[in-house]
Amino acid sequence: MTQKKTATPKKRPGRSSHHTHREGRCMDLLRRLSGYIDDELPSDICREIRRHLGACPNCEVLIVSLRQTVTLCRHRPTPQLTPVDRMNMRRAILTAANAR
Amino acid sequence: MRASTSKKPLQRSARQELYGFDRLYRDHVDLIYRYAYRLCGETESAKDLVQETFLNAYQGLKDFRGESKVSTWLYTIASRACIRMRRKRKGEPEHELSLEEFVPTSEGEFRLQIPIDGLSPEEALQNKELRAALDQAIDKLPKKYRMALVLRDMEGLSAKEVGTIMGVNERALKSRLHRARLFVRRELSARGITQHDNQKSGGWRS
Repeated sequence: MTQKKTATPKKRPGRSSHHTHREGRCMDLLRRLSGYIDDELPSDICREIRRHLGACPNCEVLIVSLRQTVTLCRHRPTPQLTPVDRMNMRRAILTAANAR
Repeated sequence: MRASTSKKPLQRSARQELYGFDRLYRDHVDLIYRYAYRLCGETESAKDLVQETFLNAYQGLKDFRGESKVSTWLYTIASRACIRMRRKRKGEPEHELSLEEFVPTSEGEFRLQIPIDGLSPEEALQNKELRAALDQAIDKLPKKYRMALVLRDMEGLSAKEVGTIMGVNERALKSRLHRARLFVRRELSARGITQHDNQKSGGWRS
């Protein structure tokens, strides 16, 4: 799909919307992605980012996959201690405390 | 009872200490184990870390003035113990993650995706390959980045609280967290885990 030139957030003469991602808005976005998905940025910057995302499918994909990463981390399963583990560890802690 | 007057207060205080410790242990051992497991990635090291944490907490309990939440205090003790224990085991220097290394250099790299569309996180994590990739990615993180990610994104603490636990300001903490997330994202999306794997492991909604 072709991108509309008018959707580019800031006019930079001589630069096409298929910019390299080492520069410009994409790099700004890369720096601020976590702040954006954590909803910690001021509203004017969020607006700017949304405008950029609408014009840059690559950054859109990046932001979706970063959100998914955070979601997967949040849901990563962890094993639970058994009552026997709890009891054995308590005993070991108190033994070590008395020995010190 | 013995007539010794000097021993009585000591005995009472020891009993109180033990009672206080038991309450602390009972109320927080599962929380600290979960944190320890997420930091260490396996059960035996996690148990060692829990024991070290509560041993230090037992010895410091009388000095704890309640200036922070008990859980914050315990997370701090556990984090410091983890750094000490790792330093003892391996002497390798911590490598820093620079933001530059996460700048995609090609369209294809930019577009790498984690194939979990249409699945809940729980369903997606039924895919063994995805789960293993997530575990390995977190395990590969240098510890200060891993700690930031675990405390913020897994334990669900606020950035301010995590900063307090790790002894860094909020800005530094957010920078670490961001790099940690980008690192895990890159590891996950670069693995080429397919939706077919999800299907095979029963991860699709019926």
